[in-house]
Amino acid sequence: MTHSTPPVRRHLGERALGRIFLTPSFTFMALIALFPVGYAVVMSLYAIRGFHQDFVGIRNYVDALTDVNFYSAAWNTLVFTVASVTLEFVIGMAFALIMHNAFVGRGLTRVVILIPWVVPTAVAAQVWRYMFDPNPGFVNSVLGTDVNWLRDPGWAMVGMITADVWKTAPFVALLLLAGLQTIPRDFYEAARVDGANAVQRFFSVTLPLLRPAIVVALLFRTVDALRMFDFAYIFAGYSNSLATLSVYAQRYLVAEPLLGYANALSTITFVLVMVVGLLFISRMGHSMLGDTVREVKR
Amino acid sequence: MTAAHDAQPTLARRRRRSAVGNIAKLVGLALVLVWCLFPFLWMAMTSLRGGAIALTDPNILVGPFRMTNYQDVVGQGFHFALRNSLIVAGVTTLIGIPVAALAGYTLARLPLRGRYLLLAATLVVTLFPPVALVNPLYRLYLEIHELVGINLLNSYAGMIIPYVALTLPLSIFILTTFFASIPTEIEEAAKADGATPWQAFSKIVVPLAAPGVGAAAILTFVYATNEFLLAYSFAPRDLNVQTVPVFIGTFERVGYENPIGQVMAASVLVSIPLVIFVLIMQRWIVSGLTSGAVKG
Repeated sequence: MTHSTPPVRRHLGERALGRIFLTPSFTFMALIALFPVGYAVVMSLYAIRGFHQDFVGIRNYVDALTDVNFYSAAWNTLVFTVASVTLEFVIGMAFALIMHNAFVGRGLTRVVILIPWVVPTAVAAQVWRYMFDPNPGFVNSVLGTDVNWLRDPGWAMVGMITADVWKTAPFVALLLLAGLQTIPRDFYEAARVDGANAVQRFFSVTLPLLRPAIVVALLFRTVDALRMFDFAYIFAGYSNSLATLSVYAQRYLVAEPLLGYANALSTITFVLVMVVGLLFISRMGHSMLGDTVREVKR
Repeated sequence: MTAAHDAQPTLARRRRRSAVGNIAKLVGLALVLVWCLFPFLWMAMTSLRGGAIALTDPNILVGPFRMTNYQDVVGQGFHFALRNSLIVAGVTTLIGIPVAALAGYTLARLPLRGRYLLLAATLVVTLFPPVALVNPLYRLYLEIHELVGINLLNSYAGMIIPYVALTLPLSIFILTTFFASIPTEIEEAAKADGATPWQAFSKIVVPLAAPGVGAAAILTFVYATNEFLLAYSFAPRDLNVQTVPVFIGTFERVGYENPIGQVMAASVLVSIPLVIFVLIMQRWIVSGLTSGAVKG
């Protein structure tokens, strides 16, 4: 009889504790993420001039989707995302494999590759912008070229992608290295016994087992690249040549205030990032979230 | 034939191959180091070069070398920006990590319906693009100022609050996987010995989760020192609150002079503490990531 009381009380205590523990984080996230985004969607339906707000329905969206500059910003975002994420993945993978297999200097390299990642993007952007700047012309003198890296839109994009890859490939490498370290050595031995060469071992053992780490790295990098602001703004301000969707939206928030239109642009950016992010998360659901939750249930 | 050779290489061949492999690995490591560090060398050398020569000669080894750029940058109040960044990032971490730890513990341990949904919902918040928050938060801050009299624009709190919200999801996620990986038996034993749920959490689980807490704290701190768009929108000019990325990213040209040396001096000044930070914290970040978020 006396045995039945304590478990019941403990159970109730834990439920109440759980609700109390979750309240602060979910309040923060709801207030600062959910509420403002809803607010932005509402404002995107108005034409806002000073204190006047006229309901215009979806006209801001129609305007955005028929605007040449919007498509140029979307194109810049797409080029930047595809190129930088691809390069970061390839270079990050090479870095990770080098570090994983290195017999000396692994600790040192690990520290060194964290340094570009920890430095603020604004610093990375300024350093690379000045290295590419034809005046003084450091990159030109190293490559023996005569390119105006900051004025020519195509080359400016190349410069910006280089800067972003420099800053974040190391972080991709770190995520992949963490994944590599969880692959048991025996798998490689078994593949070696079966006569697989290094390339075959990479494709048949490393890549499949590294999949969770790869999906996480690609998710974070793709989402970050799609909403990138700092590099484009520091390289070229609000000019159309490098403007990404975030820069383009911010331009109508600050430089030429058209708030309803700006909110339509930021909402489009938001939807795009969400759709791409959710595609990744739904693929990841089973391998990561699933594991966590299953472990929890056990 | 070759397959048979590969399967059973002679000792000499194996040695020769491993020597070649080792040299390739060393070259690879050297390339990684140069690629990562060279821009810092360029930055440091450029920050020391004085006068017109830094603007016209791409050779970073050509002097004259002076400290004037550093004096100029400090004269413009860069040390205030450094202080502001440290306060904003520090307070964001101090608020965000305990809040995330409570949520992570709950999601990993306590009986709760809809756990999977809550965890997925927090992950979705990591996707929010800051640009979608700029205008709504700006207006919210203005309204709060009008109604309550608290001005969040040009204040530390105006940055810290959104930073906490935006870094919470990833911290919660890392901490949930960490708490979930700690065996329940340890806790159960503590409770059997008469510990309350709170004691079991604070005395037993938190110390074991230290690597995850460390990794989450580093990611939060780095995010908050890095963030540009919200800081630029909410605290753009005032040196009492302006953070380092805004100071460096919006460096004002004075007259016709190219401020390259001064921008690089400011970059060096912010890099030094961050590099020291990495040196101290690197173990945490590597072990935290290995056993937490990207567990294979």
